[in-house]
Amino acid sequence: MLHIPALLAILAMALVTYLTRIGGYLLLAGRKLSPRMQAVMDLIPGCVLVAVIAPDFATGRPADLLGLTATMLAATRFSLLPTMLCGVITTGLLRAILG
Amino acid sequence: MQTTSLTDRQNSFRAEFFRGVKTSLPLLIAFVPFGLLLGSQAVQKGFSILEVPLLTGLNFAGGSEFAAVGLWSIPPAIMLLAGVTFLINSRHILMGAALAPHLKHLPRWKIFLLLFFMCDEVWALTLTDLHARPGHRFSTGFYAGITVCLYLTWVIFTFMGGYTGNLLGDLTRYGVDMAFPAVFIMLLKGMWKGARNALPWCVSLGVAVLVHLLLPGAWYVPAGALAGITTAFLVVRGI
Repeated sequence: MLHIPALLAILAMALVTYLTRIGGYLLLAGRKLSPRMQAVMDLIPGCVLVAVIAPDFATGRPADLLGLTATMLAATRFSLLPTMLCGVITTGLLRAILG
Repeated sequence: MQTTSLTDRQNSFRAEFFRGVKTSLPLLIAFVPFGLLLGSQAVQKGFSILEVPLLTGLNFAGGSEFAAVGLWSIPPAIMLLAGVTFLINSRHILMGAALAPHLKHLPRWKIFLLLFFMCDEVWALTLTDLHARPGHRFSTGFYAGITVCLYLTWVIFTFMGGYTGNLLGDLTRYGVDMAFPAVFIMLLKGMWKGARNALPWCVSLGVAVLVHLLLPGAWYVPAGALAGITTAFLVVRGI
């Protein structure tokens, strides 16, 4: 059920991922940040998250762009669960209509 | 008998744990179908049924797992897989750096254990919670609650996806794939701190979109994030 090359590939991936997870902590452990650096650090999370979802904005499909807009509008008013449902259902309907 | 401080601490851990589980429950709308999808795709690509939960349990980073399944061959190209994994997950370095100041009071073994499970959602929900409750310290119970809920769901449903094969068909046709950007947009809303966010975020998004359109692979994540952070550095300096 387990093949050695596959096992090695999985372990290599797991190791790389774990190193990225502890890397940021190790770089900063025991260091005092200046207020300016702290202010920059506070802005990092948003920059990372927005980059991760960039492909959703790069699509040329009108249904997907409209669905994304609907999701963003829902996010300004609702909590997580209704926002997700709103995004999923609107996008599904738009894809059925617009193709 | 009087309540001791130890049982107090256990009670508050339990309360925080369940608060974490409750907070993470809506995310299962995305985790369950994508777990099933990843598992069924992996088996079609030549993963054995045991290798699927082994990957998702040891790696626990969905984006890199979908990429690995896409690039999978027999025998697998280990260096290629490791390189792409690094590219996609390099954002964890920044995420860990943002979380690090909140972990200072914990023993090291606990930090290294907690960081093993730091996927996007666990990290973002934790930071959002820290920002929403100023004055509160990092809550291990809350973090553990989110982690246990999402980790078990991911490993179990990727395994089931491999076991049952492609039962669901292509759910992304219907719009289920919009669940992920919805989660991220909600998390961004929680991180919004007024207009000084706007420029770094827009630069990050713009550069990431451009790089995604121009270059194959996952370069858009580090490129966009670094461009946004550089902008943040300049914006903060200007204040």
